[in-house]
This record gives sequence, C-alpha cells and structure tokens, in this order.
Amino acid sequence: MSYLLTCPNCGVREVNDFAFGGEVSARPKSRPTFRELNTYNYFRRNVAGVQREWWFHRSGCRAWFIAERDTRTNEVLSISRPGDPKAPS
Amino acid sequence: MSRLPEQPGERINRNRVISFTFDGKRVEAFEGDTVGSALYAAGRRTFSRSFKYHRRRGLMCCAGNCPNCIVSVDGAPGARACIEPVRAGMRVEHVNAFPSLEVDAMSVTDKSGPFTPPGFYYKTFIRPRRLWPLYEKVLRNAAGLGRLAEEQPEREWRTEYRRRHADVLVIGGGAAGISAAAAAAQLGADVVLVDEGPEPGGRLLVEESREEVRTMVQAAREAGAEIIERGSALGFFDGLVPVWQGDTLHQIRARRHVLATGTIEQPLVFAGNDLPGVMLSDGARRLAAMYAVQPGTRAVIATTSDRGLEAAIALHATGVSVAAVADLRATPGAPASALAQLGIEVLPGHTVIEARGKKAVSQAVLAPVEGGRAGTTERTFDCDLVVVSGGAIPASSLLLQAGAQTRYDEALGHFAVTDTPEHVAAAGEVVGAGPRDAAADSGRLAGLQAAHALGFGDVDSRYAEHALGDAIARAGDRRAPVAVAPAAIGVDRGKCFACVCEDVTSKDIGIGIAEGYDSIELAKRYTTVTMGPCQGRMCQVPSVRVMAQQTGQSLGDVGTTTARPPWVSVPMGILGGPTYEPAKRSSIHGRHRELGGDVRWAGDWRRPYDYGDPQAEALAVHQAAGLIDVSTLGKLLVGGPDAGEFLDRLYPNRFSNLAPGRIRYGVISSDAGRIVDDGTICRLDDESFYVTTTSSGAGAVEEWFSWWLADWGMRVRLTDVTQGLSAVNLAGPRAREIMSAVTDLDCSNEAFKYLDAKHAQIAGVACLVLRIGFVGEVGYEIHFPAAHGEHLWDALLEAGKPHGLRPFGLEPQRILRLQKMHILVGQDTDSESTPFGAAMPWIVKLDKEQDFIGKWALEHYDGEALETSLVGFTMANGYVPTEGSVVTDGNGTPAGQVTSSRYSPVLDRVIGMAWVPAALAKDGAQITISDEGRTTQGVVQTKPFYDPEGEVLRS
Amino acid sequence: MSLEFLSAGAAAPDAVARSPMERQARAAGAQFEVRDGWNVATSYGSPEQEQHACASTAGWADVSHLGKLELQGQGITKRAGLELGRAARRDGAWWCPLTPDRALVIGERPERIPDETGVVDVGTVFAAMTLVGPLSREVFARFCAADLRPKVTPVTGLRPVSIARQPGLIVCEADDRYLFLFGWAVGQYMWTVVDDAAVHLGGRPVGLATLDSLAAPLTEEAARA
Repeated sequence: MSYLLTCPNCGVREVNDFAFGGEVSARPKSRPTFRELNTYNYFRRNVAGVQREWWFHRSGCRAWFIAERDTRTNEVLSISRPGDPKAPS
Repeated sequence: MSRLPEQPGERINRNRVISFTFDGKRVEAFEGDTVGSALYAAGRRTFSRSFKYHRRRGLMCCAGNCPNCIVSVDGAPGARACIEPVRAGMRVEHVNAFPSLEVDAMSVTDKSGPFTPPGFYYKTFIRPRRLWPLYEKVLRNAAGLGRLAEEQPEREWRTEYRRRHADVLVIGGGAAGISAAAAAAQLGADVVLVDEGPEPGGRLLVEESREEVRTMVQAAREAGAEIIERGSALGFFDGLVPVWQGDTLHQIRARRHVLATGTIEQPLVFAGNDLPGVMLSDGARRLAAMYAVQPGTRAVIATTSDRGLEAAIALHATGVSVAAVADLRATPGAPASALAQLGIEVLPGHTVIEARGKKAVSQAVLAPVEGGRAGTTERTFDCDLVVVSGGAIPASSLLLQAGAQTRYDEALGHFAVTDTPEHVAAAGEVVGAGPRDAAADSGRLAGLQAAHALGFGDVDSRYAEHALGDAIARAGDRRAPVAVAPAAIGVDRGKCFACVCEDVTSKDIGIGIAEGYDSIELAKRYTTVTMGPCQGRMCQVPSVRVMAQQTGQSLGDVGTTTARPPWVSVPMGILGGPTYEPAKRSSIHGRHRELGGDVRWAGDWRRPYDYGDPQAEALAVHQAAGLIDVSTLGKLLVGGPDAGEFLDRLYPNRFSNLAPGRIRYGVISSDAGRIVDDGTICRLDDESFYVTTTSSGAGAVEEWFSWWLADWGMRVRLTDVTQGLSAVNLAGPRAREIMSAVTDLDCSNEAFKYLDAKHAQIAGVACLVLRIGFVGEVGYEIHFPAAHGEHLWDALLEAGKPHGLRPFGLEPQRILRLQKMHILVGQDTDSESTPFGAAMPWIVKLDKEQDFIGKWALEHYDGEALETSLVGFTMANGYVPTEGSVVTDGNGTPAGQVTSSRYSPVLDRVIGMAWVPAALAKDGAQITISDEGRTTQGVVQTKPFYDPEGEVLRS
Repeated sequence: MSLEFLSAGAAAPDAVARSPMERQARAAGAQFEVRDGWNVATSYGSPEQEQHACASTAGWADVSHLGKLELQGQGITKRAGLELGRAARRDGAWWCPLTPDRALVIGERPERIPDETGVVDVGTVFAAMTLVGPLSREVFARFCAADLRPKVTPVTGLRPVSIARQPGLIVCEADDRYLFLFGWAVGQYMWTVVDDAAVHLGGRPVGLATLDSLAAPLTEEAARA
C-alpha cells in the first residue's frame, strides 16, 4: 500500500498521510427497524470494484473528503468534498 | 597466487595492499578487490558448505546472485563474498560448516543416500510430537546460512531513510540504463539512476574498457542525473521504489520508470553441477577482467549461446587453456570460427553431462544431446574449471511487481516480458535488446520517451525519438540464436542441482510431483525451490523445466512463481530505519523528570506513572492536596451558531441547555449505542463550548466530530487545541487555600461551585479553571497555554508547599478515580459496552426531541434485560485480582471480567470494578473471581467506594 | 466568557513563555533573550558558523514563538484572496489556507480579519522551526515525503503534510528556506529528528539573530514577481 491519494485541499500525498473512513453509507433518515439499524451499523458492501469511501487527511489539512476508488487496483477515479454538488449523498 | 598481469578493465589498485582475516587467517588483497576475488586469488576454492548436504561450494556467479559464497562479515551473516568489497581489518567467517569448511562433520548427509528428500522434516520428525523441540534444535544446527549473535549490542550504526522525488527513475546502470538516464536528463528531466554493481556499467565493465564506460556515465552525470551506486532496488510498490544503499534506504517516487535490469545468466543442470570450479561464464570473466584473477588453468566450456563462445575467447586471451567448448546448438554461432583459428575445438550439439572431482573439479564429461538425453559418444577432459552458460533470463522481477506480463518464449527458452504498464518502460536486455549497441539504443529511446511524456524536449528531440524508434524497428531482433538446455542431464551419474540454495535436485522435484505437489507454487512450498537466498535467479527456470519435463506440460503452462519483494536480501535494520518513536510530551515533562517521575508510555504520550510512592501520593490528595499533570486530555473548541445543537446530536444527553460557565459530563456513543469516549463539556458562552476527551481518544474524537460535521454541514467551527493547552488538576482539602495564594479569583464554594468554570489569572497566566472531581476531592482543573507549563506548575507547587501539596502521577490517579467508580473508557468498557450496561442510564436522554448518534440503538436497548452490568466490588481477603480476571456464574462458567482493581490506601481495602451477570448487579451480592487458577470472592457495591453521595466534592 | 486562556501572549511579565524545544536548544549551547514575553534562542555562540551552515549546509531555528491564529468561516480562503496550496505574505505574517473554510495566519497578528470569521489563537497548538540552507531539502528528505523540489514547491508553496510521522505544515519562505509547523507536544521529538538528520549533513542549530540577518521572507509583491 504505497499509492498516492489526492486531497482536494492539499494535493497529492502518500496514502499513509490519510486515515481511511470506510465506505460511504447513508445513515437512515428516520427510525429504522432493528434489522435495518444493524445492517447500517455492521454490514458493508465490500465490493471488488469502484467504491465511494471516506478519507481523512490526518497528517495535512485534517478535513474529510470522499474518493471513488477501485478496490482492486487502488486507482482513484475521483475525489470530492462533502457537500460538493458531485459528492455522493 | 593466480593474479593476472594488468587487465584493461581491472578495478584493483595494485599499489595498495590491505589485509583482512578469513576464519582467523590473514588474507592479503588489493584495494578494489572483493572478499571473493581476494580469497580466490589466494587459492581458496571452497567458500561455503551447502544448506542440506554440506557439499562444498565455490564461486559461481561472481555477481551476488547465487548463494555459494555467503559468509559472515564482522559477525553479520548473509554477505556475498563475491561482491563484498574488502576493508582493512574486516573479520570474514564461513557459515554452515563445523568444525571447518575443509572438514565438515555434517557432510555425511551427502553420502547417506536420500537423507533429506523434500518434505523430510514433516515426514520424519512429526512423531512423537514431544520430541520435536529436540529435533528442532538438531535440525537448526544442521541447516542454515549463518547465525545471528544471541545478543545484539545496542545498535551504534546509523540507518536513515531518504525520500527522493524524481521525474524519471532508471533502474540498472548497464548500456541501456546509462543511455536512458543520459537521454532523459539531457532533455531537462530530473533523473535518478540506480545501479547495484561495484560501479555503473553492468556487463560493460567486463566486456569493454573501463574508460569507455566511465565516459558514458560521466555524460549522464553531467546532464544532471543523480547516480546511486551500489544501490539495490528492493521492489516496486505502487510506484514507490525503495533502494538500499549502505546505511540509507532511498524511497524514490518518480513519475516515469525505465527498468533496464538486464539478464541473469543461467547454470546448466548436470551431474555434479555444484562442484567448486563450475562457474558461470560471466563469473569467470568478471574474476579475470575486473579483479585480474585467473579463474583456472584449464577450462572446459559448455554453452547454449554465443555468450559461452565469447567467454572462451576472453579466457583464452588471459592465458587459460581451453580444452574444449561444447555448444548445444547444432550450428555454433559466429565466434566459433575465431575459436577454430585459436585451435580450440568446438563440439556442436554437445553439452556437459558430468563434472567430477573430490574437492573441486578435475574432469568434465561432454556428450552430444539426442532427444533431450546424453548420447553415448562421451568424451572426458581433465580440467580445473568448467565454464557454463545456460542462457540468460530477463531480470524481470521488478517489472512483474510493477504489473508487467510475461509469456514463455519457445525459441529463447525463458519467460519474456510482453507488456509493461503505463509509466513503466523496459529497456535493454531485459526485453531482448542486445547486443550492446541495441541495448544502448533501446535505453536511449526509453529515456527520450519518458522525458517527452513529461513534457520535456522540443521538436528536434521528438524527431530524434521517432528516427531512433524507426531505426530500432528496422534493425529487428539482432540477437544470435540460442539453444534451449534440457531440464537435467546425467541424472544417473550423480546429484543434479536445480536449486543450489536449498539443495534441491531435479530428482527431488520429481518426488514432489509424484506426491502430488504438481503445480509450481505447490512445488515451491514443498521443496523450497526458489525460496533460498537467490530468490529464483538461478533456479526458477531450471525448476520450471524439470517440472514441465516430468508432468508433460509446456513451460508456459507450468508458469512461474509470483515475483515478490524484496529483490535482494536486505538487513532488517535498513527496513526499520531510524529508531525514533514519535512521542508526545507535556510542556511540564522536564519537571516530571526532575521530580523523579517514573515516566512511561501512555498511548502516544510519555507520562509520569508516579513520583516514587503512588499510595502516599494518593493519600496526600485526601489529606492535603495533590497536583497532577493532565495535559494529555483531548481538548476541542466547538464554536458557532449551531454548536449547541451539534453537541446535542453527538451526545446522548443535552448541551444546548447548559448555562455558560457550567460543566456537564458526557459520554459519546456510536450509532450502535456503544460507548466511544467520555469527557466534560464546558459552555464558555452562547456560541462556544470547550470539550475535553480522554487522553487516548483525543484524535479519534476530533475525527469523529469533524466527520459528522462534514456530513451534516452545520454552522459549527471545530478546533483541536489539545497540544496547545497544558492542564493540571489541583485537588484535595487544601486545594482551595492553595488557589487563594495564586489567584484573586474567589474560590469559595458559594462563588465557585462544583461544575462551574471560571476564567482566572493564576500566577500571571490567563487560565480556564474547571471545578470537577475526577479524583474525588475538591478539585480545580486548570487549563492554560502550554508555553507556561513549567511556570504554572512551579508556582502551584511553591504555593502548596506550606499545605503539604505533592505531585501525583497516573497510578495514584487510577486509585483515586476507582474509589469514585469513575470509568476509564477502554479499560472498564469495551466495544460492546452501552451506557445502560455501564450503569449510566441517567446519561441517555431518550426524550430529547431531535435525533442523536446512537439514539435508535439506545432506544432498543432501553428497558431490555442486560446480560452483564458494570459494578464495583470489594475484596474481603485483601487479594488484588489481576485486571482481566474472569467473573464466573454459579456454575463456574465465565460470565464477566474484572476491569480495574487496586488497593485503596484511604479505605484500606481492595476495590475494583467488574462486569458481572445482571442478576448479581446489586449491593452485597457475592461474586466469584477466577484469577489464573485462584478462586476468590468479592462483594458487589454499586455506589462509589469513597464519598458515595458526593458531599466532599460539592463542599 | 472569552478565549483568553488560549493566548500565551496574555501572560503577566514574570510568566515567560517557553518553547517545547527550549531545553534541547539550551543543551546545544543556545543563548536566550526575552522578546515579547517569549524566551527565544538568539544565538548558539558562533554567528560565523551559524551563517556558514545556512549558506553551505543547513541551519535550523526554533521559531515556536511565532503567533498563530486559526481563521474559520464559510469561504474564508476565497474571501481573503487566498489560494489553496499557496501561502501569502501580508504584514509580517504568512496567510495559509488549509481548506476553503479554514486558514492559519502565522506571524504578526493581522489588524483586520474578514467578517464572519471565527478566530482562535493556536499559538501554542503548533510549535515551529525554520530550516535554511542549500541542504534543507535533503534534511527534510530524511523524515518527510513532501516533494519540495523548487519546481513543485516554489517560494510561497504551502504543504500540509506528514513530517516525521506527525501532522505538519511546510511553507517555502524563500529559496532554500522553509518554515514548518508541528504539534507543540511533539516539539522535543521533532528537534531530535531534525538534529539527527541535519547534523549528519553538516548542519547546526542557529539563533534568531542569524535568521534575522538572512534575507527576510518575501513580501506579497515580491512573491508575485
């Protein structure tokens, strides 16, 4: 794991400058059933392919952002700030 | 002595004689020699004993590829004598032979038949199991490649990392690499060239004059390329290439890569192919050309390509008498006619089928090859040198790690590189560009392409690139034809080693296949072929050939094992790098040292555990006053119009209704309802809160807060001021008096109540003072700029002197907080703990109108029967159970655990906290604690052990 | 209630503010002087050698006393005319945008701050050093993966990045001159790391007197030119 990641604020950095925040999942908008809650809390899609995920630039600007990464190749296809129009919900 | 007269390429300085010891005996060498060349010149032929059979092994590759000359240098094992430069006074010793290289007791294994077939250990020593420790001891002594000292001295040598960014990284400093580096650098690219040889030049150092090579290298250097000599590229990690050079690990990140790693000459597999005196053609030539050491007096040469023929000419020129040359090809290549003119016989279609000799080669048997087998018309020659050249395979490991593909090439008899990924180019012999001019052209082209891809160059240089590309395409493949060697030949005459590192013969691979290990990856793990020091350089292709022959598969179908880093053996210390451990220290740290604090790690902080007497320190807090440095607490400022609502959403209790100047305890829960962290929250004014977290949770809480903030997009400003503020807790019955001595602030209980927060000037420093009671006595937690740490600490200690104030460390604080049953998140809770289980239902405000993190889960758990609950307990017998001891239910089944336990000096009792079955979570219940076989009884207590109603705290 | 308790400058005259690296600087022979309430190392006893290190190898100075303010507010970077990845020199301070909504001001306290901006004194959240000299990038290369080659990180280049495995921030103040920030609590560790790397390359600690005598950090106009 020595690939590069681009922080939307700071630019290109070694991936170990960042903390991985897991795949982007939507928090239920209203009270979920216990099963839905457990799915949200404990189950991940864990895809072999393109995944939207949270990253935190721990050693730099200390801001969160969202990356689309291919989990098979570590190729990062896009990055965006949360709240940006193109950012996934 | 077998020194030759001066050679045009020699690296030795005959005017400087230096000496070192080998196995205690003095050896003389010239400056520029390697340990191997010096020992060979002094007449040594046996350099090591082999891994399993303890057979004699001598110099074979002279390039640091094979395992045959592994020695220990100054006590460090794993050095290759053939590439280790001599240094005056160095202490070189043999490995894996006892009592000596010449008389090795374990060499009986070689004579005693199939003593160590593949899987030998597993088959032979598995039963009886209780004897395995004994077996292991014997086996460890029998096998191996050296020995580390039992105890290493405190390390005095220095290692360092060096980060290097570059436009183009060229790996391999032969004709192709040097040309690539020069071409790219001349166009303005920032180029690094890495070469692992004694100096850049690769095979040119042997085959050309040194002056010519140095002119080429100088051109690259003058163009601005940085040349890392004697540096080994260890691997290719997503574009990051670690390069080991001396005590430095360069970490090179380039935008483009040119891999010009060349080829590795292959041995032939025949009977006795490991005898000292059997040498690769490049090895023999290196000894002669670079170190002016004559490799032998009378040689027999066996080759599959022109490489061996050229070696015959070169060796003849140095005075070696060449008895015969076997060329496996039906029609020997062009250099054969030159050999004929020298009167040297070339036998077409022949190869060597056996090398004979006791301590070293004395005879070689040549025979024609018919249908992969030796013909009957064999001829035997007396000789002391057998030069073999079994073809050259691409040194493609780094390319493969970078994502390149290979395919078996029938005509070449090896796996050729087919595709390389974007950003990575291969040049020179590794991709079949040879001979030397073609390699240089291919390097130059790769260098131009790399520079152009990065925007360097101009119209002229681009034209030059295209012209060069066209010329290379027109010239086509200029390599002379080669023959493919049989998998093994002469197998009925003696051991034919496919792998000299691990002593694996062609027969062993056959046994493995017969036992079902019939894929190359399985065979590797079973026979350990390719797993030794050469990492497949010498044995990958031979083992694949044997496998293909014996399974009837094609070589392409057998395939190769996965190329993995590191490409060369590297000391662990180099990978470990510098020894500094990032440590956080409070601004008062120096004072703790001076006061005799027992400083230890606490998370990533260095903290005083105590100042010599934790119990007395704890008692001082009850009887007079104590002062503890709590600067490690996490500290966050949460500001902005939505700050209150933000905290309401993050915590199960409320903060928007907290009055300015007041403090409230909070527990952070996850969406699964589990406790994440805890701390106090102080409202500074309408729009700002001061949040403290646990010491270990500071970073995680900041990330947690900013993560939800990023998701929710509220009008909140978050600032982590953990390291900016020092904090000390002044606590005890005399704390109020001490405060009065250092501040004008009215500290009376009426003016400054429990859970109030006040600004104050203390000893001239602006502070925030929180009246909280983690340790159970009246206490003032003082937060102030870290730049004043020592000043304030000194002032408080000074003011407290007449009152009996003493500093206390982390350990007494743990006793004090346990007396109050104040939990430590992570110690008394784990990732499954909910506020309900942790006996803090009062902190969960499910009637809060808005959603908060963990609400849904906590709603679910609310009212649900708990399995276990966190309670306090006391011990009647004075025994302090180990933290982590098991709490058992009535039947002796584990049902909980002790999380904290201490002797409390003020209560003169052993107290603790434990998770116990919910039915036992009531005052007076008996619990059974099983502590590593010892069973004791405790009594449950649900209210704090000390000051249960909090009267002291509020006084 | 105010945030006064965050400001080291608010202390009374007898309470001198100290850097986390003060003890190490003293051990290295530093001579101190109180400036604006801060005990600062002005010299290490040999101005010539300090000058020489800055000119031929590398010199480093503890500049933790520099003021640091954090500005937070929607669009502060744009509103203050800043550009991510670039520091701007204004009235004796480096304005360093970290995100569109957050910036640090390092140096003199600005007289004017954009409206609707939260200001937090983070002067002691970060310690700081200045590294000067032709080998300064080589020193960084021992413990930092940032690409500081001038064509990638020119003068005024701003690089929030891991420094010796700790969160940090580097500003290229001038040719071969870098200001870098790191956590106050790792000051002692960072000094050890820098000392080890720089001394091995022939560098040495330098005092503020030497630092002040070198070309001053750029003005904004000079940076543009």
